[in-house]
Amino acid sequence: MTKYPYYPGCTLYTKARSLDLCARKAAAKVGFELVEMPSWNCCGAIYNATSDDLAAQVGSVRNLAKASQLGDRLVTLCAACHNVLKRVQNRLDQPGNEVESERLKTFVDEKFEHPVRVLHYLEVLKLDIGFDAIKSKVVRSLAKLKVASYYGCLMVRPKEVLEFDDPENPQIMDDLMRALGAEPTRFDFKAECCGGYLVVNRRDVAKTASNKILDNAKAWGAEAIVTTCPLCQYNLDRLRVVTEGSLPVFYFTQLLGLAVGLTQDELGLEHNAGDPAAFLKAKGLL
Amino acid sequence: MATSRSSAELLEQIGALSEQIVSDCYQCGCCTAGCPIGEAMDPPPSKAIRFLQLGNVQELLGSDGIWMCASCLVCGTRCPRGVDYARIAEACRTIVLRTRQSHVDPDTVSAPELEEIPQQAFIAAFRKSSV
Repeated sequence: MTKYPYYPGCTLYTKARSLDLCARKAAAKVGFELVEMPSWNCCGAIYNATSDDLAAQVGSVRNLAKASQLGDRLVTLCAACHNVLKRVQNRLDQPGNEVESERLKTFVDEKFEHPVRVLHYLEVLKLDIGFDAIKSKVVRSLAKLKVASYYGCLMVRPKEVLEFDDPENPQIMDDLMRALGAEPTRFDFKAECCGGYLVVNRRDVAKTASNKILDNAKAWGAEAIVTTCPLCQYNLDRLRVVTEGSLPVFYFTQLLGLAVGLTQDELGLEHNAGDPAAFLKAKGLL
Repeated sequence: MATSRSSAELLEQIGALSEQIVSDCYQCGCCTAGCPIGEAMDPPPSKAIRFLQLGNVQELLGSDGIWMCASCLVCGTRCPRGVDYARIAEACRTIVLRTRQSHVDPDTVSAPELEEIPQQAFIAAFRKSSV
C-alpha cells in the first residue's frame, strides 16, 4: 500500500475531525495510507501576498523543509493548508526569486532538500488511484443522491499556481461523486467565496455570501453539498437556520467513506448541522 | 487618516507591495461584477483602483472596503488586464497595519464563537486585520 506523507493542519484534529478521520479510513479502503509528518506546525492559515513580508512565509517553509526530508510529495486535505503550502512552495521556486528563496530556506533549522510537490487528497484519488479503481471499491452506491460539489476559492485560485482544475467550472469532485454513484448537479457557485475568515468580524457578510451558495445549489436540484474546506463547511452549515429542507453540507471524505463502506460511527456525522444521519437513512444510504 | 505620508509615496509603496500596475486597469468593472461580497465592499474593486488612478490614496486607505476583501482571487482571475485587486487590497491593509492600527480586535470575539468557528478563520482574520 503506497504511503504518502500527510499534513493535517490545525483544524483537522478538532473542529474538522470528520474530514480527517474519514479520509484516513477511506484511504485504507481504496489502497493508500496517509502517514502524518512529524512535528508539523501551522501553515499560516492564509497566504500573504505582499512582496516583502517574509516572516509570514516561514511557517510553511519549515513544513515544506521537513516534508522534503520525507520524500518529494506532501498530501493535504484542508483547502486552506493546501493553498498556502502550495503557494509558498511556488514562491520559493519562482525564477528571479533566488535571493528571497535562499533567505527563507536558510532561516529555518530544517534542511530544505528539494522542492516538494503539494498534492491534495483529491489529486491522489484522481491521479494515483484513479476514479475507475475507486468505483470498483464502492460497496454502497450513492445512487440517486444529487450532490453539488462546492470547491470554494482556495482549491482553484490562483489557477496558474494551484494547477488544480478549471477555476470557473472545476470537475474533480464532481467526477469523484460520479464514481461513487451519485449524480453531480450543475451549480453556478462552485468556486464562489463563502466569505472565509470574514466570519470572525463580519458574520453578516459571510452569511449572505454562504446563503447565496446554498440557494443556488438548491435551485439546481441538489440534495446535499460536498466541500473540502473546514471553513467553507462551517460557513455554509452553521450560519443558517437549519430547517427540514436545508441541504446537508458534508465533507467529500464523509460521502467517500460512506460509499466505500465506513460505518455510521466512523463518518463523524455529529460534526454536521441538522440531522444528516436521518437524511442519509431517508435516501436509503445508511 | 491612515498615515501622514504623501500620496505619491503611498502609491509607490502600494505598487511595490502588490506588484500591480493600477494604470493597467481600464475600468471595465468585471472585478466588481464578479466579487462575491462586492455589495458589501465600499469601495468595490474597480472603484478602489480608480481611487488610486486619481491619486486619492488616503481615501482608500481609510475605507472599510480594503478590509472586506477575503482574497478569494475571483477579480484577478477574471481581469482582462491582469490586475489583481486582492494584492492591492492586501498592500493597502499592510500599510495601515504597519502604522500599528488594527482593524479587528481579538477581544471582541465571543466565547461561543471561539468555541465554534474553525481556528483557521481566527488566524487568517488576525493576520490580515490586526497587528
